[in-house]
Amino acid sequence: MKRFLLLCVSMLLAVGIIAGCSSNNKESSSSDAGGNSDSGSSDEVVTLNFFQFKVEIADQLQEMLKEFEAEHPNIKVKLETVGGGADYGAALKAKFASGEKPDIFNNGGFNELELWKEHLADLSNEPWVNHLLPIGKVPMTDADGNLYGMPVNLEGYGFAYNKDLFEQAGITEVPTTMSELQEAVDKLEENGITAFAAGYGEWWVIGQHLLNIPFAQQDDPAAFIEGLSEGTETFVGNKHFEEFKQVIDTEIGYGNTNPLTTDYNTQVTLFASGEAAMIQQGNWTENMIYQINPDMNMAFLPIPLNDEAEANAIPVGVPNNWAINKNSENLEEAKLLLDWMVSSETGQRYMIEEFAFIPAFDNIEPAGLGALGESILEYSVAEQTIPWTWFMWPDGANQDFAAAIQEYVAGQIEYEEVLEKFQATWDNLK
Amino acid sequence: MKYTKKTFVLEIIAICIAIVFLVPFYFVIVNSLKGFSEILIDAAALPSEWLFSNYVRVWEILDFPRAFFNSLVITVFSNIGLVVISSMAAWKMVRTPGKFSKILFILFVSAMVIPFQTVMIPLVKLGGMLGIMNSIPGIIIMYFGFGVPLSLFLYHGFVKTVPIEVEESARIDGCSQFGLFWRIVFPLLKPITVTVIILNTLWIWNDYLLPLLVLQDASLRTIPLATSSFFAQYTKQWDMGLAALVLGITPVIIFFLFLQKHIIRGIASGSIK
Amino acid sequence: MESTVATKVKADTKLKIGSTRKLKLKKLLSYAAFVGPALLFFIVIQIIPFLMGIYYSFTSWNGISSSIEWVGLENYKRIFSNDQRFFDSFLFTTKFMFAAVLISNIIGFSFALILNTALKTRNLLRTAFFIPNVIGGLLLGFIWQFIFVRGFAAIGELTNISFFLKPWLGDATTAFWGIVIVFAWQISGYMMVIYIAALQGVDTSLLEAAKIDGANAFTTLRKIIIPLILPAFTICFFLTISMAFKIFDLNLSLTGGGPFNSTQSVAINIYQEAFTNNNYGIGSAKSILFFLIVAIFTTIQVMITKKKEVEA
Repeated sequence: MKRFLLLCVSMLLAVGIIAGCSSNNKESSSSDAGGNSDSGSSDEVVTLNFFQFKVEIADQLQEMLKEFEAEHPNIKVKLETVGGGADYGAALKAKFASGEKPDIFNNGGFNELELWKEHLADLSNEPWVNHLLPIGKVPMTDADGNLYGMPVNLEGYGFAYNKDLFEQAGITEVPTTMSELQEAVDKLEENGITAFAAGYGEWWVIGQHLLNIPFAQQDDPAAFIEGLSEGTETFVGNKHFEEFKQVIDTEIGYGNTNPLTTDYNTQVTLFASGEAAMIQQGNWTENMIYQINPDMNMAFLPIPLNDEAEANAIPVGVPNNWAINKNSENLEEAKLLLDWMVSSETGQRYMIEEFAFIPAFDNIEPAGLGALGESILEYSVAEQTIPWTWFMWPDGANQDFAAAIQEYVAGQIEYEEVLEKFQATWDNLK
Repeated sequence: MKYTKKTFVLEIIAICIAIVFLVPFYFVIVNSLKGFSEILIDAAALPSEWLFSNYVRVWEILDFPRAFFNSLVITVFSNIGLVVISSMAAWKMVRTPGKFSKILFILFVSAMVIPFQTVMIPLVKLGGMLGIMNSIPGIIIMYFGFGVPLSLFLYHGFVKTVPIEVEESARIDGCSQFGLFWRIVFPLLKPITVTVIILNTLWIWNDYLLPLLVLQDASLRTIPLATSSFFAQYTKQWDMGLAALVLGITPVIIFFLFLQKHIIRGIASGSIK
Repeated sequence: MESTVATKVKADTKLKIGSTRKLKLKKLLSYAAFVGPALLFFIVIQIIPFLMGIYYSFTSWNGISSSIEWVGLENYKRIFSNDQRFFDSFLFTTKFMFAAVLISNIIGFSFALILNTALKTRNLLRTAFFIPNVIGGLLLGFIWQFIFVRGFAAIGELTNISFFLKPWLGDATTAFWGIVIVFAWQISGYMMVIYIAALQGVDTSLLEAAKIDGANAFTTLRKIIIPLILPAFTICFFLTISMAFKIFDLNLSLTGGGPFNSTQSVAINIYQEAFTNNNYGIGSAKSILFFLIVAIFTTIQVMITKKKEVEA
């Protein structure tokens, strides 16, 4: 028995030594490379690892990086895109745990910034910061005022509406308050048009985007969120959260059948094929809508909670940011790449033409936007925007919130209980 | 057995069930030949225009030959290793009854219920230390570790049905332990070996999470990794995704058709009861 | 191991002490040579990470930070005092396990029986029933989601059968059965292969003898076939139980745990705790608890079926 154990242990050791040796070799060779680049030989090629999750732009991004490589012969960029069913966060954590840390990767900001801050490089003094719009700075700025990331783009959402169907129902004024919206949906119903394509099967549509409205409409959303955590604010009894009920009731009452099984694809298809007049979605749906119906005539209207003037605002925010690993061996090259993406002509061209992004920089003129992107831009220019607050919520709360809303829509619980569930989730996860 | 009226009725019923069983594949194949918007608008209908261009594009985007090669190498070598180490261990454990073997067996079996999510972060941490990350031999070693419990469990169950008399006569003939195992015992294990290979192949060929965590180089991508690039959180590119899926599963179907002959032959040879 | 060798040695008292030592060593070496490789890979790849997981379950690690703080039993206390969702997911997984194991084994065994007769198309049918296995978990869920949402609706509109008009994934009960259906659809072919292998090992002369004795098909099945292939049942039940308990990919892509978390499996709960809520410590603690419970469950199952095997 003892001998057997001994044998096992020695075998383990042997493997450990073999593996250890090979990993040592690897390390020493890579440190050699580092040494060479230190000695300043200009033909030394460094490789940047670029890890991101926006599958939609993966091909164009690869094209752009090729152009970057052509302009910078001593920098190679290895792009890896992980999206889909896999959790980008889990993959990124695995990379850091195994030591294969990427140089550039995505970070959502706020709570996620705090979580990752010890690994992130301070970008406060980068050349592009001067041109960054104030709204783009918020997510990645910490309490000391340092900036840790560059916004990928700006996005916004609301009720996108089909202008032709509205006209058909005789709606001439774009509804901007709850009462006007109510009138509009009544008119749509009289004309036999389904008002909403409600995608209540997707947790992020309701638990994140829709529920953001009552958060963002608070006088000071950040203070409200802090108050929730400290116990000075509650969901029950809060004016905007009480008003929120009517939004759900309207959307469900005048919406498609089976909202709880309507996923993102179904929801967008209903809207794009003209089977519903409105959809609660963002400008990222644009391409898909045009693919189904190239002649779609559409724009955004706000998701109003009440009849006050403030209700007429669209949530605009930074969906994600690029951040740099501060322990990267090629920190300078990584910074150079980020700067090139928003300062060079090529980088800017990709941003507006190929990715069709709404840029978060004042020195890049948006072009090539579709109707929804244009609509977001109009609201931004008119300063009728409210923030995206879910990055400040406790991790995982959004999926619980969605579950509570689904339960309400399924008729399992009353609205009062929904607010109680929100509260319980918050208290449990904060 | 004779072919009677009853068998005929049974056959008709079985065929009907099989058709119902295969309906999802109708959806997969039909939609893989449609344009994106057509899939969204009417999923059930036949394509208005048969778009084989989906397949051509997917072949290029995925770099299919390379992904196929990677998947193949990983699957084949993991299988060989698993069959060798698990059959040997299982046989020895069955033939050496006692407390130690029993405890060992329970240890192996209970590990089958460890959820992969539990060990994945420590595993990549350890993998980084051992220098087996981001390499095909590395992931094969990991499959050895993850596959051993099930393979060993299946062999363990099967070895017990192999009569020990055969081995004893061989032992008298002066066979060494290895010779005895590989020449006499292993051929008798063929039916279960085929089963083990089928089950491990299905798992390894389709596995997503482990390659995702371990293989980072684009040149090392397996088929499921490459396919997943068509499915984002917001947009699922069904046209490309389904074509990729069909490309990815075809080799496994061919493989299964090939092996199932062996299952039947292995059993029909009557070497075991 | 030691005790086995010892008893064998005792039985052979005539051997001199020196040669017993030698024999013992030889046996040990041969045992190590055969079992060692499997054990080595298993320990390095599964056991060491698992032990590391146990360590993390006593910390408040978030999965990212380089500082790992020891918190003792705090995580376990928190799970037991304040995590209804975890227990709900347990309840769901257990219910799912019973339904899924029963249904997929009944279907798999029936298929095996049917295909073990002299059907002309049996090779083709065998392939047809087996083929669902070639689609991996995540994509399988996506495809079936598509079928439940679109396919069923299309059939429902055509036929007006209420079965197809239900919001399958939008209601807690039907979503539960939806997952069971997909699980059974995929796994029963797999079980069928194992059962077929076992059935073909049954001596046909026994069956013919039973026929001559006037036993009907059902009696033959119950009294002869099932007892003979009990080991196959042990394997199949064990496999389906552990697969059903660990269900993750399929569940995630089919319902994502919804509607309103009613179909959240334990594996998803753990995954979310660790990677969405960034509580790797609590996630690890949950998976240790999960492991213990599943281990107890499967041990009981194996003990029961093994006992039956012996009796038979």
